[in-house]
Amino acid sequence: MNQIDIKRDKAFINGLETRLEQEGPFASWDLFQMNYEAALTTMSPSFDGLKALEYLPQMEFMDHQLSSAKQVLEDMNGRGILADEVGLGKTIEAGLILKEYMLRGLVKKALIIVPASLVNQWAKELNEKFYIPAVTFRKSHPWDQYDVIITSIDTAKRSPHREQILEQDYDFLLVDEAHKLKNHKTKNYAFVKSIKKKYCLLLTATPVQNRLVEIFNLVSILKPGHLGDYDTFLKQYGKDRKAIGQDGYLKQLIQKVMIRNTRKTAKFNDIKRNIETVWIDFSEEGDNVYSQLQNTTETLPAFSKITLLRELCSSREACYLSLKKMMEDDEKEEWIRPITEQIEQLPQHTKAAKVVDLINQANGEKVIIFTEYRATQFYLQWYLKENGITSVPYRGGFNKGKKDWMKQLFENHAQVLIATEAGGEGINLQFCNHMINYDLPWNPMRLEQRIGRIHRYGQENDVHIYNLAIRGTVEEHIMTLLYEKINLFEEVIGNLDSILAELDINDIESKIETIFSESSSAGEAKIKLDNLSTVIKMKHDEGIQEDEQYGN
Amino acid sequence: MAIKDLHHFLESYFTAHHCSILHNQDGMLTVQLTEEMDKALMNRPFYWHYIKKMGHPGDPKQLTLITDPEKRDGKHEWIHFGSPRLHQILNHLHANETYTKLFERLDTNEKTALFPWLIANIKISYQGKQKKDEMVSIGLHLVNGTMKVNMMEELEHKSMQNSISDYCYTIAPIIKLQSGFKRIENVLEDYVQNQSHEWAETSLKTMEEEINLLRHFYKGKSDEKEIKKEMDEIKKRYTPYIHFEVINGGLFYLVDQTPE
Repeated sequence: MNQIDIKRDKAFINGLETRLEQEGPFASWDLFQMNYEAALTTMSPSFDGLKALEYLPQMEFMDHQLSSAKQVLEDMNGRGILADEVGLGKTIEAGLILKEYMLRGLVKKALIIVPASLVNQWAKELNEKFYIPAVTFRKSHPWDQYDVIITSIDTAKRSPHREQILEQDYDFLLVDEAHKLKNHKTKNYAFVKSIKKKYCLLLTATPVQNRLVEIFNLVSILKPGHLGDYDTFLKQYGKDRKAIGQDGYLKQLIQKVMIRNTRKTAKFNDIKRNIETVWIDFSEEGDNVYSQLQNTTETLPAFSKITLLRELCSSREACYLSLKKMMEDDEKEEWIRPITEQIEQLPQHTKAAKVVDLINQANGEKVIIFTEYRATQFYLQWYLKENGITSVPYRGGFNKGKKDWMKQLFENHAQVLIATEAGGEGINLQFCNHMINYDLPWNPMRLEQRIGRIHRYGQENDVHIYNLAIRGTVEEHIMTLLYEKINLFEEVIGNLDSILAELDINDIESKIETIFSESSSAGEAKIKLDNLSTVIKMKHDEGIQEDEQYGN
Repeated sequence: MAIKDLHHFLESYFTAHHCSILHNQDGMLTVQLTEEMDKALMNRPFYWHYIKKMGHPGDPKQLTLITDPEKRDGKHEWIHFGSPRLHQILNHLHANETYTKLFERLDTNEKTALFPWLIANIKISYQGKQKKDEMVSIGLHLVNGTMKVNMMEELEHKSMQNSISDYCYTIAPIIKLQSGFKRIENVLEDYVQNQSHEWAETSLKTMEEEINLLRHFYKGKSDEKEIKKEMDEIKKRYTPYIHFEVINGGLFYLVDQTPE
C-alpha cells in the first residue's frame, strides 16, 4: 500500500533547544522517569479491548453493557444506535464508550443532546460514574470553550446557539431519546444531521414506533446509504413494520448499526418482579353512583362516559372536576347536578384506604404511586398526610429543577412519591422497589415504562408491583381481559409493540376507548375486549415473533 | 516500567516535589504539600492570590490519599487509575517534566569523560478505525552517531543528576540537536513504514465502502454542501495516519561503555 501519512512532533526539539540555551529548568531524573512511566501506563497498546475498565474500578458493568460497548467501538466504528429496552442502562453503555474514546485520545470535543429534564442527571452520571468532566450548557459556558457539553435540543437549535454549534467540529455526538428524530422532515432532524461529528450514538428504547422508515431516518444520520436510498426503501418497507423480522437481509443490515438488548437476552431476570393484583370493592355509595353513571341514557359526547367511569374508579375528585366542567359547557346541568351532589357525599375512596394499608406493609421502604389523574394526585397527597405518611408529587409539567428537587426529597425525606403519567419518562428511581399502580393505563407499553422506573439497572432488590382494580367496574375488564388474559405482565409486553403493528392497531388506548364508547352495553364491551385480547394472544402464541425482532 | 505500585509511585512523586510524608502505611498516604504543590493540585487560586496580597506566607494543605480500596473510609480521597486526582497528577507530570539535561553520577578520583546523548521517549500512535500506541525510547550518541533503543530501561538503574560529578568533564556534541533529532525521526519512519499495515488497509477499505454508500444515497441529488460534510466526516474517521508524540527527552551525558 501507499505510504501512510505521518504527523511528526515539531515542538519538542525546538523546546529542548530553548531550554538548553536558557540553562533550564530541567526535570530531575526521578520526575523525568515518572513522566515516562505515566505515559507507558496511560497508553493503549492494542486496537481492541476496553481500557476504560481499569479506570472505573468502582463500576460494576453487566455483561450486555460491556458487549454493547465493545461492539460499537470495534465493529461499528463508533457510530451506532443503542436501542436497549427501558431500564437496561443505555446511559451506562454510552458513558463507557465515550470514556474509552476519551482515554484513547480519540474524542476531546463532545456534544450530548438529551431531553431537558434529563440534562442534570446525565451530567451527574458522567461526572460521578465515569469521571468525565461534562458540563451542562449555560451562558457562561460557550460552545467552543468546553469540551463536553450537555444540552437539550430546544436550547441547541435556538439562535445563536444553533449557529455556534454548527461551527464546531465535534468528535462525538450523542442524542438521547433519538426516536424524536424519526421524521426526516422536521427541523430537529435537519439540525442534528447538520452537526459536524466523528463518532455518533443515538439512544432510543423504541427505534421503530410506527413505520420502518423511521429507522431508515435514524440510520441516515449515522451512515447515509447503509439502508439504500429513501425512495427505494420507502417503496419496499416503508409502511410495514414486521419486515425486519421477516427480511433476513434487512435485519442483518440493521444489526450492523443497531444494538438491542432485551430483558430476556440481557439475563436481567436475577431481579424478580412480583406482580400482584389487588382487588377492591366500592363502598355501597360509590357503587350506586357508578351504576347511575353507567346506566344513564343521557347522550354524552364520545368517550365521556367511559372517562367519567374511569375517573370515579380513581377518585371522587377526578370525576367531580370533569362533571363540573361538563356543566359549564353543556346544558346537562339537570342531569349532572344530582350526581355531583351524591359524589360530594361519598366517603373516602376505598382504593385510597387500601393504598395506606399497602404502604404500611412496606415497613418504611420507599413506595412510588402512579395515577392517571392530577385530581387524584392531589387527593392522595392529602389523604396520605392525614394518615401520617410523607409524600411528594411528581409531574411531567414540573421544570427541570423542580423535578430534581422532588426526586431528591423522595430519596432522602419522603416515603412516597406520587407521580402522574407524564412524570414517568426518564426519572430513575432504582432506590425504590415498591410500586403501586393506582389506576392502570390502557396502553400496556406505558405500564412497562412505569415499571422500568424501578426495575432497571442499579436495582438491587426484587421489585413489588401492586395493581389496584375495583371489582365490577371498567377496571375489572381491563385487568382481567387485557392484562391477565394475555399475560401481559410477564410475557407479551416485549412483543406487544410488534403484535399491535401486525394487527394494524396504531394506538391500543384509543382502540379500547372506541370499544367502550361504541358498545351499547357493558356486556357488549366485554365481549369486544375479550375478542381483542384473544387476537393479541393468538398472534403471540403463533410465535410469529419467535426470532427476536432486531436482537443480536 | 509502567506504574505497577500506585502507592509507591505517589510516594516518590511527592518526595521528588519536596513534600514531607506525614503518614504512610496500610494503603493510606498523608503528605504535607509545599506551596508549589498546593497551587498545582488543590485548585484554590483565589486563596493564594488573597493570602499573598495580605502579605501572609500562606498555609499549604495536607493531602490524604487512599490507595487501597479496602481502606476507604468515606472521609478521604480514594485515588485510583481513573480518579480525577491521579489524572491531575499525571497531567502535572506531563506538563512539567518534558525537558531535561542530566549527567551520570560517578564516584571517582580520575578524570572521566561524559559523552552526550540525545534521548527521546516517543509515543507512536497508529490510527485507523481504531487506535493503538507504542512507546519507543531511543537514544543517539551525539559524537559517533550510535543509535540505541530501550534507553530508559537501560538507564533505569543508573544514578543521574542535574549537575556534573567531580572529576568529570563533558565532550561537546558533534551532531547538532536538530539534525540528530531528524536522524531519530527518519529511523522511526523507516520502522513504521516497513511494518505490515493491515489496520490501515481495512480502514481504507471501510472508508471506500462508506463513500460508495454515500454516493448511492445522494444519487441524483444536488445538495453539494451536505454531501461534502458527510464525505469529510467519513474521511476524518477512517483516513489512516501515524502520529509521533515526544513524551519527554533531553540531553544526557553518559560514561562511554565501549572500550577504547
